[in-house]
Amino acid sequence: MSVASVPGRENSAPGTFSKRLKNLTSSYIFRVIIQGLITIWAVTTFTFVLVRLLPGNPVDIRIDQLQNQGYTYEEAVRQAAGLYSFDPDEPIFSQYLRYISNLARGDLGVSITSAGTPVAAQIMRFLPWTLISVGSALVISFSLGILIGAMMAYWRGGILDNVVTALASILSGIPDYVIAIVIILIGGLQLKLFNVGEMRGGVDPGVQGFTVEYVASVIKHAILPVTTYVLATVGTWILSMKSSTISTLGEDYIHVAKARGLPERRILIAYVGRNAMLPLVTRLAISIGFVLGGSVIVETFFEYPGLGLQLSRAVASRDYTTMQGIFLVISIAVIASNILSDLLIGWLDPRVSLEDK
Amino acid sequence: MVGFDTIATPVGLLIGIICGFVPLGIGIYYRHLRPGIMGFFACTVSGFACGFFGGIPMILLSTSVVVSYIYVNRQDPFTSRKSIDEVDFAETNTEFVLRQTAAFGRTLRAMSYGILRNKGGFIGFVGILFFLVLTTFGPLFIEYEGQPRMDRRVPGAMTLFQMPSSEHILGLDFQGRDVLSHIVYGGQTLIITAIETGLMATAIAVVFGSLAALLGGFVDQLLSALSNFILTIPQFPLLLVLASILDFDSHFMLAVLLAALSWPALMRAVRAQVLSLKARDYVEAAITLDLGMAHIILREVFPNMVSYIAINFIFAIRGAMYALVGLVILGMVPLREPDWGIMIWNARSRGAFYNPDAVMMALAPIMAIALFQLSLILFTRSLEEIFNPRLRSGL
Repeated sequence: MSVASVPGRENSAPGTFSKRLKNLTSSYIFRVIIQGLITIWAVTTFTFVLVRLLPGNPVDIRIDQLQNQGYTYEEAVRQAAGLYSFDPDEPIFSQYLRYISNLARGDLGVSITSAGTPVAAQIMRFLPWTLISVGSALVISFSLGILIGAMMAYWRGGILDNVVTALASILSGIPDYVIAIVIILIGGLQLKLFNVGEMRGGVDPGVQGFTVEYVASVIKHAILPVTTYVLATVGTWILSMKSSTISTLGEDYIHVAKARGLPERRILIAYVGRNAMLPLVTRLAISIGFVLGGSVIVETFFEYPGLGLQLSRAVASRDYTTMQGIFLVISIAVIASNILSDLLIGWLDPRVSLEDK
Repeated sequence: MVGFDTIATPVGLLIGIICGFVPLGIGIYYRHLRPGIMGFFACTVSGFACGFFGGIPMILLSTSVVVSYIYVNRQDPFTSRKSIDEVDFAETNTEFVLRQTAAFGRTLRAMSYGILRNKGGFIGFVGILFFLVLTTFGPLFIEYEGQPRMDRRVPGAMTLFQMPSSEHILGLDFQGRDVLSHIVYGGQTLIITAIETGLMATAIAVVFGSLAALLGGFVDQLLSALSNFILTIPQFPLLLVLASILDFDSHFMLAVLLAALSWPALMRAVRAQVLSLKARDYVEAAITLDLGMAHIILREVFPNMVSYIAINFIFAIRGAMYALVGLVILGMVPLREPDWGIMIWNARSRGAFYNPDAVMMALAPIMAIALFQLSLILFTRSLEEIFNPRLRSGL
């Protein structure tokens, strides 16, 4: 027993290394991360199968097209291989290995429609816009939801509660693109609050450099998508914060805190608020992953130059490598945020990681 | 649905009236006129809407409601006022069927009160009913306008768009066609595809969830891993990518695909629910009493999950509708008019977002979709009251 506790000598005592290994593998953090890695591997394999192996996959279609244009089969395969940067003589399994190792180095291939542009560079160009718009919308709607939801739960049954509950359930029931169209039609065309044509794009053309003017222009263009995202998501945050707070208010430790005569403010912040926020914080972590995907439809409607718009354009023009790259980046972001949320809840709420064993 | 026509036809009306005579006749014979007449109308309407597919199930439903009013259990010591020793609990097959039918009718009556009890849920129910009536009975009164109507151009106008008028309640679209006719005809495929998706997703979820919970071990791990995998893939981007590779020509295939992507959330919930129900006292008691697998599943486990499953069925419909309309709006599905999503796509590509006169063409389908989804959400509040045996008061 004493040998095992001396650091650096784990291997000398039989059984202790495997015991440590077992401890490691059965630990909550390890399992969460391994599961996430397996999912990432599955998604990458899935996209590879989708583009290369499925019947009617783009490579075969391209070869067919080239053959119809008068190329021999050999030439057509060479051309298609050049386009999708794979070696046609290689067996499919080593092609797969090469694809995975390219991905690991951050090489997502070259765009098909705009030849010569690496997909990774394209993604880097569009990523900031999505991060700005959806990220700030997420922060705004989460903070609003927490505040309003907690207030409603505290003064439940009042006018605020009834009005906001009705509003929030209506908002949470409406799809985001409906809100986007209503904003465009009512705000832009009927009330003439803004000019729809001018609000397209991420920034006014001609504004260069990182100046006050530039930032103002960015904010101006982000307002519409951000408003849409906030309206589409705030209802859900409000309602879940409200129900979470109400159930926390009924817990025994709140009664005990009251009985101990703690000040009301301290109970609300330290006892109710922190515990009620637990389930919401994990959901916030999950939502972070969906930031990258943005909303394809909303970005398309406002012609906001984010990843979502780029994805829908790539799909429309059948630019498979770009599509594959963006889809991979979005999926990996979601998986990573799932891992984050699992780790976060394990850290914030020790009951979870203990229970799972 | 495949080979399932939901546009009202005169033949359907005839079928409905004929079906309606069954509950009406029973009601008149046994002097319970009110449920009989109500059953007659229910059969007529549903037969009118869906032909045999609506009429014959409605005969069963309405007749069992009528029977539940009429039926008196002769064996019941409280009704026959015999002493307990004189009561004979043996019953013939006919009596058994009658007793079960009456019990089913009573449950139906209790369920209909469940719809009325929750105010928000009732509004949602009315909303859903409104859209179903609109898509099935609307075509009787409004003719579909598929061809461009150049003759409707107002002298001096640049486009054929028109704002609402008394003649065209929702205005005209970019080809001078009546927007209302597109609203009436355009919802059907969308709603039916969404319902198909919901049914399939729910079925997959319930089967996989109970299998995972009951069998455990390897099956459980496999199904849980699969559901985790599907849950983590961002759905709409995946659909977009698939749209570029697969052919989304058939709505049924699209429904299958959507269902394949939307079962995991409910499956996890069903699994957890079955696991927890398995350990409940009353289920263990039923197992100890050896009441049979069918009884345990149908009478002890299922009633406790059915409201939850129904709510998730509605959510699945809603999600499917979101994805369907989204794909159409982006032009990823072959366009086939009439369809609410295609109306929006047309509105966008014909500049309705920049032309104040064209507002109705985009606003009408948007409102239809938003209202239908809202009704679905509101209706979920009633479902708890309808299906939860504890909340449902025994009539």
